[in-house]
Amino acid sequence: MGKPRSHKAEKVLERLEKKLNRQIVMSLAACVHCGNCSSSCHYVLANPDDPTYQPSYKADQLRKLFKRHVDWTGRVIPWFVKAKSIYTDEELEELKDVVFGKCTNCRRCSINCPMGVDHATFNRMARGLLVSVGVMPEGVAVVSKDQWEIGNQMGVLKEDYLDTLEWMEEELQEELDIPDIKIPVDKMDCDVVYSINPREVKYDPRTIAEAAKIFHFAGENWTMPSEGWDMTNFGLFSGDDDLGGAVGRRLYEKTEELRGKKLVISECGHGYRSTRCEAPNWGKIDVPFVMESSVDTMLRYIKERKIKVDKNKNTERVTFHDSCNNARSCGLFEEPRELLNLVVTDFQEMYPNRTENYCCTGGGGAMSMSEYTPNRLKSAKIKAEQLKATGAKYVVTSCHNCVDGLTDLIKHYELDMKVTQLVNLVANALVIPEKVKEPEVEKVEVPVEAEAPAEAGDLAGRKILVVDDEPDILTFFSTVLEDNGATVIQASDGDEAIEKVRQEKPDLVTLDLNMPGKDGGQVFEFIRKDEELAETPVCIVTGRPELRRLIYDRPVPPPEGYLDKPVDEETLLRNVRKILAVG
Amino acid sequence: MTITKQINQCTVRLEIGDITDFEVEAFVFYATEDLKLGAGFGNAITMRGGLAVQKALDEMDGAKVEDVLVTEAGMMKAKHIIHAVGPKFQEENIETKLANTVRNVLTTASDKGFKQIAFPAMGAGFYGIPLPNCAKIMLDNISSYLAKNSHFEEIIIRVLDKREYTPFVSEFEQLH
Repeated sequence: MGKPRSHKAEKVLERLEKKLNRQIVMSLAACVHCGNCSSSCHYVLANPDDPTYQPSYKADQLRKLFKRHVDWTGRVIPWFVKAKSIYTDEELEELKDVVFGKCTNCRRCSINCPMGVDHATFNRMARGLLVSVGVMPEGVAVVSKDQWEIGNQMGVLKEDYLDTLEWMEEELQEELDIPDIKIPVDKMDCDVVYSINPREVKYDPRTIAEAAKIFHFAGENWTMPSEGWDMTNFGLFSGDDDLGGAVGRRLYEKTEELRGKKLVISECGHGYRSTRCEAPNWGKIDVPFVMESSVDTMLRYIKERKIKVDKNKNTERVTFHDSCNNARSCGLFEEPRELLNLVVTDFQEMYPNRTENYCCTGGGGAMSMSEYTPNRLKSAKIKAEQLKATGAKYVVTSCHNCVDGLTDLIKHYELDMKVTQLVNLVANALVIPEKVKEPEVEKVEVPVEAEAPAEAGDLAGRKILVVDDEPDILTFFSTVLEDNGATVIQASDGDEAIEKVRQEKPDLVTLDLNMPGKDGGQVFEFIRKDEELAETPVCIVTGRPELRRLIYDRPVPPPEGYLDKPVDEETLLRNVRKILAVG
Repeated sequence: MTITKQINQCTVRLEIGDITDFEVEAFVFYATEDLKLGAGFGNAITMRGGLAVQKALDEMDGAKVEDVLVTEAGMMKAKHIIHAVGPKFQEENIETKLANTVRNVLTTASDKGFKQIAFPAMGAGFYGIPLPNCAKIMLDNISSYLAKNSHFEEIIIRVLDKREYTPFVSEFEQLH
């Protein structure tokens, strides 16, 4: 009798044979352990003395199973080809730490392998084998389940998604003073169906508004779908082909249902790769319409003169980070540069770049696994050095995972740099057509006839609690609001805010999120859950939009407004007046 | 997209939709042994129903596979949630366990006096039970239960999308 094997290990081996294809078998068979891959891997560069980070070592963890159970060499000369089996759940856990925690599947080693071994592809397969028996990091389980059951990776409910689109539409109408600018939902027979990353809804809705602005001025006949709108696909990261196919199918079926002519995918590396290139295969789907990245769409609008841009509106030095999925896996690297050069004045290339660029370490989903964060950030050293050498103030990337990965490493390595995307730069560089600008010009020249500006003092009788731990912000907000007649109460931390809101019962709370003690999210939840205070309007103020999750993750009704720092006087007053329905 | 079948005074309805967002007397949540709502439908229950559901589950002492528990549904459109701890991820005897879980849901719902309940595609998707197996086991057990019991007025199978719908249609067509 052989060594006993756990049920999960048995199932992994059973599925291994079913998942093999020619590409994977070639990769498993062809490695000659030359070591070329090692110098390509950001994990190895950060851990040069630890052989367990070498791509060939990581590959061997799966290769030994292939040799033992599939390849003839493992049956004849197992000791020579290092064929080994797997027996226990503990060994599966160890394999999990290798395939999820020591590789971002960036494919930099793959393109530098003289034998053509695609390590990332079978690393992904190994992830899929483990996921099929429930062995995966907690974060991977959470994101996968949200995408399976709610339909998007971040568990955004349909009503919240639609509310956000409506909110962005209102913001846009107000900002541009164009009442008929729309974010259409489920409009039939459009030329463009626009799909997005749920991160945009949850943490960065301005990218939706900015895309809408571009579509509007391009005169595009476009829509967003009410369902099947998430173009990201966690199946690419987790290795779960069933999830990959199911997510792609939802997106394609909705586009077909709307009779859309083209599916445009917003800036996201793994979203673009999975939606355009991989999901049709995972789901065995024949997609009957064109798919393109929004980078191509924006570039085409400029080339076809559908929109005009003024690059002098973006004068800070920028550099460009190629997303691994876009550049290495899909060949999308010249188009973003062409677009970038049309909308900025000072573009500094990063080296190496294009297919040789280093991973942001976000790895198409790696940030969902907090247990590996220290290792991930350590491996980001080479990326930080690349960024620093450019001297740029902004790093531009066409990928939402990269936005988060880069933001994280910029903070960790204390770089003086911000992350942005092409949609932000194109929207900022847009030249608003004259016919639209005309009414605004009139307003400036004849202020009396313009929409009556709210009068100073119109907040008289309103009690506003300003909560912020930064004394300068407290003073600025208080001065502006008091100058306009409001009675202002101040609180500089979460506990004081709760005390003041109880005592004073203000008409509005402006609430900073990131504070010592109780953070803004806890204060917000307290207000919403207190029967007496639940209806108090709250305007969230934050310099870090990603912290909005502190609000979204709470099972209470959303706040009445959001403000991103830095906040100027006009924006503050406009939002306060809107929430209080003044003027 | 809806199809219905009448079995011994009970209407069995198959439709596409979000099981956590519609009016029904009780719906089934495919629960875990630690009774934590967690992500996916669990996340939707927390967001739409409030904290009361998890609080009620926290007062229970965990559960094992095939167990079925009932809580109120908080602020959701549904009135009750039937927490069914089904088998997961290719575990041993998965089909037998799934069949037992489905039967336990029906028995528990009947004991509680529910007339209308809704099922998701039990264990499909994240937990990896193949859809054809899921559809067959669910409909076999529901139909055999209904053949002997006439308590329920309506049983709804509310699946996520066309991909889940199709295998259930095939099984529906074979129902007597």
